[in-house]
Amino acid sequence: MEEERGAAARDATVLDGNAIAALLGEIFGGSEMTSATRGCGSCGQSHPIGEHRLYRGAGLVLRCPGCGDVALVVVERGGEAVREVQLLGRWQVAVG
Amino acid sequence: MATPGAPLVAPVPLVWRLVTVVEVVDETPHARTLALDVPDWPGHVAGQHLDVRLTAEDGYVAERSYSIASAPEDARVALTVERIDDGEVSPYLAGELVVGDQFEVRGPVGGHFTWRAQDGGPLLLVAGGSGLVPLMAMVRHRAARASGAATELLVSSREREAVLYRDELERLASAEDGLNVVYTLTRSRPAGWSGYARRVDAPMLAEVGPAASASPRVFVCGPTPFVEAVADALVSLGHAAENVHTERFGPTGG
Amino acid sequence: MPPFSRGFHRRPPREDVDPSRVPPGQYVVNDFPVLSAGPTPRPKLDEWSFSVQGAVDGAASWTWEELNALPQETFTVDIHCVTKWTKLGTTWTGVSVDTLMDGVATEAEYVSVWADGGYTTNVPLEDLRDGKAWVVHTFDGEPLEPAHGGPARLLVPHLYFWKSAKWVRGLTLTVEDEPGFWENAGYNNYGDPWREQRYWGD
Ligand SMILES: Cc1cc2nc3c(=O)[nH]c(=O)nc-3n(C[C@H](O)[C@H](O)[C@H](O)COP(=O)(O)OP(=O)(O)OC[C@H]3O[C@@H](n4cnc5c(N)ncnc54)[C@H](O)[C@@H]3O)c2cc1C
Ligand SMILES: [Zn+2]
Repeated sequence: MEEERGAAARDATVLDGNAIAALLGEIFGGSEMTSATRGCGSCGQSHPIGEHRLYRGAGLVLRCPGCGDVALVVVERGGEAVREVQLLGRWQVAVG
Repeated sequence: MATPGAPLVAPVPLVWRLVTVVEVVDETPHARTLALDVPDWPGHVAGQHLDVRLTAEDGYVAERSYSIASAPEDARVALTVERIDDGEVSPYLAGELVVGDQFEVRGPVGGHFTWRAQDGGPLLLVAGGSGLVPLMAMVRHRAARASGAATELLVSSREREAVLYRDELERLASAEDGLNVVYTLTRSRPAGWSGYARRVDAPMLAEVGPAASASPRVFVCGPTPFVEAVADALVSLGHAAENVHTERFGPTGG
Repeated sequence: MPPFSRGFHRRPPREDVDPSRVPPGQYVVNDFPVLSAGPTPRPKLDEWSFSVQGAVDGAASWTWEELNALPQETFTVDIHCVTKWTKLGTTWTGVSVDTLMDGVATEAEYVSVWADGGYTTNVPLEDLRDGKAWVVHTFDGEPLEPAHGGPARLLVPHLYFWKSAKWVRGLTLTVEDEPGFWENAGYNNYGDPWREQRYWGD
């Protein structure tokens, strides 16, 4: 875990979940998702989505700040009204 | 602390709105504030950001995020953009745009990196470079609501000329209503400078306070390496991870 | 189409490029963008190894020193990222997959490439053979930077760049094709830039 943190510390291009607040809002039908939390099946910790680490590769990858476990993968299909989304772990999404 | 999962802000319809630049203010040689007229602005919470969308004549589209600098109480929505020399969007927003020009925004978005007067204090705000923008919205909101929450604002900047909102911060701090502003200049200092002259580190954070035992809400914003370093230092000082809110702006040399 | 922003343009494309070297939908960059699906691992070289395993007779493994003692090739190729940038004339040094597969017998037709940090990508074995792929450790004469995949990455220049796994540690030969990280997430299973195979169904 410490190692994961240290490794992330040297990645100058990392953002956090806050940066995709609008994208998450679209995926979750307008809900504010950065203050929602995710329970990580890998390290057992719970963290707000806004504090997850956001990596940008071929697509977007959101990872647990505790252990690096993948929380979300999004692939935008350029020019098409379709977006591929993989959600992993337990997302606590407020309703009503 | 909010209940896990509870929305701090109401859902917003994520529509793109065409906004008009109504005023342009040069804050520093590299940064500019854009005051915007936003039709049907739904209001915002200090700390939130907008997504900006620019479309070129050939249909090419670029999107970037910009924090809202103005307080919810301010009459106009304002962004402050720092020019990245080889950037695609920031030189346009902070250079090319003039009053009357239009572009699209959607939001406000983000409910995690936010502070409202009723959330109370004490507050520790740590800004690196343009990371001051969303923290300034909090400081302005605090003043507009006469919140009085004990607030330490630590501003890290390359040099004095690069500090955003200098005069306004001086004015706000001189009100002596619980806001204290501390500067550190990492690259060059004016003659006789008595403030800090190094990158933010644990001893500096300990001196500035409040101590972890006071459980301040901490907001850290700036370039990614800055945020990583400050967040690590805060945790080493015993601040609980759930009290430390971070917002990374991405890569930078500052 | 949204209203356009007066005076906003994309970065001017480079003019001195041979258009026949640029696949459809790509634009040429001068810099070397850093893209990553996760944190940059920093393995210790004395603990590093590269292996060929899975459905093979005679799995093989090399330490860092052993890999560097194999025959090295230096070559110049163009690379194409699915996020649309293309970088022309990049020069690399490393060991060809042909060299690594020398003496490894297999009936398998697919390879699952794996890397530090848990990244995987799948490539048909024939796309790694006959001088089409390398494990490289040197870029432009310098040790490959961690941000770009150092100590070593795979290089498969005729496919989109996500197939050129950074921080590569091994090839697992598989009888069935096993989609990797991005292939599972919606990117094309094969990824030929010249046929613009970006997503599933392309
Ligand atoms: C949630 C959020 C809020 C933000 N709020 C603000 C804000 O209030 N004010 C503000 O000025 N910026 C803000 N940013 C950063 C902003 O979104 C852009 O990244 C920045 O303006 C650079 O865009 P560009 O198109 O000019 O550069 P690009 O064309 O994207 O990049 C050009 C070059 O500059 C480098 N670069 C990219 N981003 C940065 C950066 N942030 N700093 C230094 N170098 C960079 C790149 O590596 C590249 O080499 C925010 C970012 C996020 C995620
Ligand atoms: Zn975890």
